[in-house]
Amino acid sequence: MRVRATGSAHSGVLEWLVQRVSSLYMAFFVFYLVWHFSTVPAPTHAAWKMWFAQGAVRIAWALFILSVLLHAWVGLRSIYMDYLHPLWLRFSVTLLTVFGLVALALWAVQILWGANL
Amino acid sequence: MGKKNKRPVYLNLFKIRLPVTGVVSIVHRATGALLVLLLPGALYLLQRSLQDPEAFARIANVAAALPGRLVWLLIVWVFAQHFFSGVRHLLLDVDIGIERTQAQRGAWFTFIGAAVVVLLAGVCL
Repeated sequence: MRVRATGSAHSGVLEWLVQRVSSLYMAFFVFYLVWHFSTVPAPTHAAWKMWFAQGAVRIAWALFILSVLLHAWVGLRSIYMDYLHPLWLRFSVTLLTVFGLVALALWAVQILWGANL
Repeated sequence: MGKKNKRPVYLNLFKIRLPVTGVVSIVHRATGALLVLLLPGALYLLQRSLQDPEAFARIANVAAALPGRLVWLLIVWVFAQHFFSGVRHLLLDVDIGIERTQAQRGAWFTFIGAAVVVLLAGVCL
């Protein structure tokens, strides 16, 4: 497989790789979730909280959410590049998206490592 | 486009027959965008379900009732469709199913796979 020329900015290859690697982690994590929930008979709040009390589970979730957000970023970026033609529009929507995704990431940190847990 | 170019622009979306591979492509984008829109709601549910037992019970009740189950199945379908068209993408990356008839067959498989997952989820949940 030959990597195509990516223009003067040489960008695109990293995004391509991020999209693939994040998709693989998400796929494995979703299979793990399905397996986990199929072994737990009836989920209770206590069991749910205890599961999240494990450091490894929280880190696995954090990596999953990070993968989702990075994946969302690359996906939205390609949609914007194809359909939002005026530069000012693409720029504003991109800016809003970045702030939104970073806010979601910080919120996820709050949920996973917040004082309320 | 110059004024000399009088070729008709024919973009009747109901008359253009998009091949199944093209349908999978646009569906992959649409489902992806939809899943992004679901993210804040998903984080909110995660937060509330961990915060207090009453919120957890409320979410579990809503999810178990019929409207909740239907919404849940719809989300499962959106995810499964995006998942299978994504797997197809990864396989195309390594030159599997890249030839035309195989690419079309693979496109149909993504729809069938997503439908099977929804059926399984409907039976199991």
